[in-house]
Order: sequence, then C-alpha cells, then structure tokens
Amino acid sequence: MRYYIIKRILIIIPTFIGITFITYLMIRLAPGDFTSLRAGIEGELKAGSLSKEIFEQEKKLYGLDKPIIVGYSEWLYKTVKLDFGTSRKDGRTVAAHIIESLPITLSLNILSIVIVYIISIPLGIFSAIKKDTVIDRIVSITLFLLYSLPSFWVALLLLKYLSGGDYLNLFPLGGLYSDWFDQLNVLQKAMDVIWHLILPVVTLTYGGFAFLSRYTRATMLEVINQQYIVTARAKGLSEKKVLFVHAFRNSLIPLITLMATMLPGLLGGSVVVESIFSVPGMGMLAFESILSRDIPVIMAITSISAFLTLIGIFLGDIMYAIVDPRIRLEAQQ
Amino acid sequence: MTGYWGTAWKRFKHNKVALGGLWIVLFLFVIALCAPLIANNKPYIIIKNNALYFPIIIDYKEFEGVDFKKIDGYKLFPPIPYSYSEYDLNAIVVPPSSKHLLGTDEQGRDLAARMIYGTRVSIFVGFVAVFIYVTIGIIIGALAGFYGGWVDIIISRIIEIVMCFPTFFLILTILALWGQSLLNVMIVIGITGWTGIARIVRGEFFKLREQDFAVASRALGAKDWWIIFKHILPNAMAPVMVSATFGIASTILIESSLSFLGFGVQPPTPSWGDILSQSRDFIDFAWWLTLIPGFAIFITITSYNVVGEGLQDALDPKQYY
Repeated sequence: MRYYIIKRILIIIPTFIGITFITYLMIRLAPGDFTSLRAGIEGELKAGSLSKEIFEQEKKLYGLDKPIIVGYSEWLYKTVKLDFGTSRKDGRTVAAHIIESLPITLSLNILSIVIVYIISIPLGIFSAIKKDTVIDRIVSITLFLLYSLPSFWVALLLLKYLSGGDYLNLFPLGGLYSDWFDQLNVLQKAMDVIWHLILPVVTLTYGGFAFLSRYTRATMLEVINQQYIVTARAKGLSEKKVLFVHAFRNSLIPLITLMATMLPGLLGGSVVVESIFSVPGMGMLAFESILSRDIPVIMAITSISAFLTLIGIFLGDIMYAIVDPRIRLEAQQ
Repeated sequence: MTGYWGTAWKRFKHNKVALGGLWIVLFLFVIALCAPLIANNKPYIIIKNNALYFPIIIDYKEFEGVDFKKIDGYKLFPPIPYSYSEYDLNAIVVPPSSKHLLGTDEQGRDLAARMIYGTRVSIFVGFVAVFIYVTIGIIIGALAGFYGGWVDIIISRIIEIVMCFPTFFLILTILALWGQSLLNVMIVIGITGWTGIARIVRGEFFKLREQDFAVASRALGAKDWWIIFKHILPNAMAPVMVSATFGIASTILIESSLSFLGFGVQPPTPSWGDILSQSRDFIDFAWWLTLIPGFAIFITITSYNVVGEGLQDALDPKQYY
C-alpha cells in the first residue's frame, strides 16, 4: 500500500509540471508577445505613451525577457514557495486574491457534488430496480433532457423568472451577501448566504444528475447479474438485503473514481455560473484575469486548479485501493 | 444493406427517438446550407420594366447600393427578407410580429435571420473541431495501442496530463491571448479534446492487435500502417463514432458558452450564444431574445445526444443477445 501511495504521489509532480508548462508556453508563444499583453493595460496607459523603460520593466517583472525555460523555471521555483507574485490589475498579491475567492468556489462546488451524489445514487438504484418500467423511462428521459440544457441559459431563465423582474421575486439577483449582511446575527447570516447560493448551486448540479444516476443504474445492473447475487438470493436473503448489502456496496466502487473525473471541469463551470450570478469566487477571478490579461493570476489559477484536481484524483485512487482489495494486491506486486 | 453497418442502421431505424434526432440534425444542416436562400434582403426574382433579375445569385450593377425593398415592380423575397447584419434603428427590440417573425435585437436586426445564420456557426464549429480531435485521438491512440511498450507509457502519461487540464479555462486563456476567431475556437477545442477518443482507440487496438486477422496479416508480411489502417482501425471505429457524436454536442455547448462569455465568433457574425449573451440587457421584457436562442441550443444538443445514444445501442449488439 505504501508503494502504491508513493507511486501515485510521484505521478502528480510531472503532471503538474506538464499542465503549468503548457499554459506558460501558450502565454509566451502568443503572437505579438508583449503587444498583446499591452492591450490589457491600454486603459491605464495609452499604447503610444508607454515608454520603452516601463515596457522593459514590465517585461522583466513577468520574466518575459528571459528564454521560456528560464522564465518557467523561475515561475515554478517561486510557486513552490507559494509566491504567486502580484496582480498587475490592482497590485495586490495574487495569493490575497486566491485566499479570498478559493473558499467560495470550493464550497460552492463541494456542495454541488454532494447534492449530485445524494440525489443521483438513490435515483440510479431506483431505476435499476424498476428497470424497463414506465417510471424508469420517465426518469431517464427527464434526466437526459436536463443533461442537454445549457447551464448559462438555465441561469438566465432562473434569474428572469425567479429573481425580480415581472415574475416571482424569490431569490436575489446575484452576489453572495445582502447589503444588510453586517446587521444580521450568525444564524441569519448563514441563511442569507444559503439564500444567495441556491440558484448557483441548482445551475451547477442539475446537469450532473443524468451522468451519475445512469452510471449507478448501469453498475447496479451489472452487479445484479453476478453469480454471488444469485447465490445471495438462492440462500433466501430478503431482496432488500441482497440489493443494499451485496449489490450496492460493490457498485459503489466505480462511483468513487468517478468523482475524480468530475474535478477538472469544475473551474470551467464556475467561470460561467459565477459570472452570471456575480459570485466573487475563483471562476469570476479567472474570467476577470483573462479579460485583463493578468498573467500572474492566470498562472496561479491554472496551477491551483490543476493541483486540486490532482489531489482529488490521488485521493480517489487511494480510496479505490482501500475499498477494492484487488487493486491493493496488484499494487503490492 | 447488409454487414455490420447495415444491420446497425436497421437497429438504429427502429429507435424512433434517435431517428427523430437524426431528422432534426439533418434539418439543421439544410438550414445552415441554405441560410442565404432563407434569410436574405435580396429578392430571388425582380421583374422590372419587363426584364427579369435574379439579385440573390447575381450582383447587378444597376442595383448597387439600392434598397431592394424600395424597388418598384414584382419582387419575390425569401421567407425572411432580412440579412443577418441589416439593422433598422426604427425597430429596436421589437417583439415577434408578422414583420419580424422572431422579433429584433438591440440594433434592430431580425432575430430569425440571425438565428438561421447562427446555425452555420454551431454546426461548423461542432464538426470541424470534432474532426480535428478525432483525427488526433485516432493517431495517438492507435500508436499507443498498436505498439504498446514505452510508446504506450509515454502516450498514456501525456493523456493523463491533458485530462487533468482545466480545459475551458485554457481555451479562454488562449483565445484571449491569441485572438478571438472562429478558427481559433475550433483549433483550441480540437487540440484539447482528443483524450477521450485516444483512450477508446488505444483500448480497442489492445484488444484487436492480437486477433487472428491482424496476426495473419502480419504473417503475410503486411506493413504496420497497413495493419493499422486497413485491418484494425475499421474494427475500432464504432465506439469512436459514438464518442464523436456526443463530442459534437458538447463542442456546440462549449462554443455557445464561449460566445456567451464574449470569447467566440466576432460580430457581426451571429452565434446563438452571442445572441443569448446580448439578451441579458433586456432580460426583463425581451423574452424572445432569451428563449429562442437558448431553446435552439438545447434542441440541437439534445438531438446530437439522442443520435449518439441511438448509435451506441445500434453499434453494440451485445446488449441484444
């Protein structure tokens, strides 16, 4: 088991370097080199008035005067020391930006994943038990349609029909807190945040139901046809016991690793959802950093989301090995 | 039709939902192809002073810079007599009416015309980007699966790296720094999306390369590329087709998300996501600007997904026997 863990950790390092290096390469190789970067600060300094000195200074600041490999190595060295540099937009440290926004996105996404799992797994088991009945078909068609609904459209419709306007006024238009947040007590504060999070969480979750519940259904059906289930039935166990003790526990295994595959897409989904609901999280930060070509922030976000993804996959692998002895034994050999 | 693909088609035909999806997909193709004939501010035919003109096909010198709607004589206009970029500042954000079937946007452009031309963007991006990544995925997956060994180890590691990429964010970054154009959208989706196909092809090749027909071909002295392309690849195509169909759906979704965020095609080229994005300023009252493009994206994605689903069932006979 220890070798297995060490092996998985060792894989994280080259993958992390690969992801950040390719992103760095894409930034450095962009046509026009610094001219395209200049477009980002055009608001502050007109292109013409940008003196050569400032030009060189900025180039130096971002390591753009050095060869790509050297520039990347320096970036990597600083990043390992958790020094992400300063944002060129407002001069604050990138770390401060990240510390502010990461918890918001993280809690939004963890909440969404938990909800997806809580709803989809029972739904999948239910569909597997009711296989090929009318109810099974209705569930699968509904989930299929939900899966195909573009999230930005759903977000707009939710805002249009549930947040003010001429229709229902149930939810706030966006943001994370009400204006009167400071005057609330702890419980009210919590309720206020939840009230603001409902629509973003709905937007992030509904698409995941189809994928996960179909997966649960498929693995359940596969397990149900195994010999040991037949044995369990033959020895007279109740159907409930067969399904939940023998079948479900084994179909749970692939669901663990599935969580890991959902991770890389989370940042992308957050960009869309957070920008529509003006949630000040990583997605919003990512979007703004791209709009202003804020390279230190772009690199920091890429590396943090890559790092979190890799950690997630790593934990998935470890959990997989814990619940499935076959993997563990294979790793020992 | 007989053989594998023939029987697959027979099975596909029995699936009424999938067949319906296929019809919608074909319908959208026809609209995209015929867009200039459906929505155009030039008439098909003008009969003026006993002379016959076909302005939609031929550019006449005498009509240069002339508003066709003000010409006297007999005119036969396309069903939607507006072009996608023709604006009318007297009819800004007008609800659907007999004059503008789907209403107009904030510049007084006809929404129906823009929707019809938007079909082109989504189909074009969907097919080209998926074609790019299917090609890359097949080549890389075939190399890994056919040769195995260290080639496979290296390629598998690369696949693992690319799969961990925050793809959507990378696409945004590249578009922001390299310039926003339809071409860049397709290339970037193409070069980041190939991992799924590569893994499928690699797996199929692993299974197929030891099969008798491949071994026999090698024993007869066939070259590697012959065995790969002539013998193994055709047998590995079924899951690739299924994955590619789902891929078109998700590519259309990515393109519309990018356009929605303002990173897609550049104006005045219409894209559904872009129309939806502009609707945000009028969300309180201009329901047609929100509902119509969103519904179009939804129907298109659903259709491709339904076809993909049908293909999956049709191409995998195992579940029937």
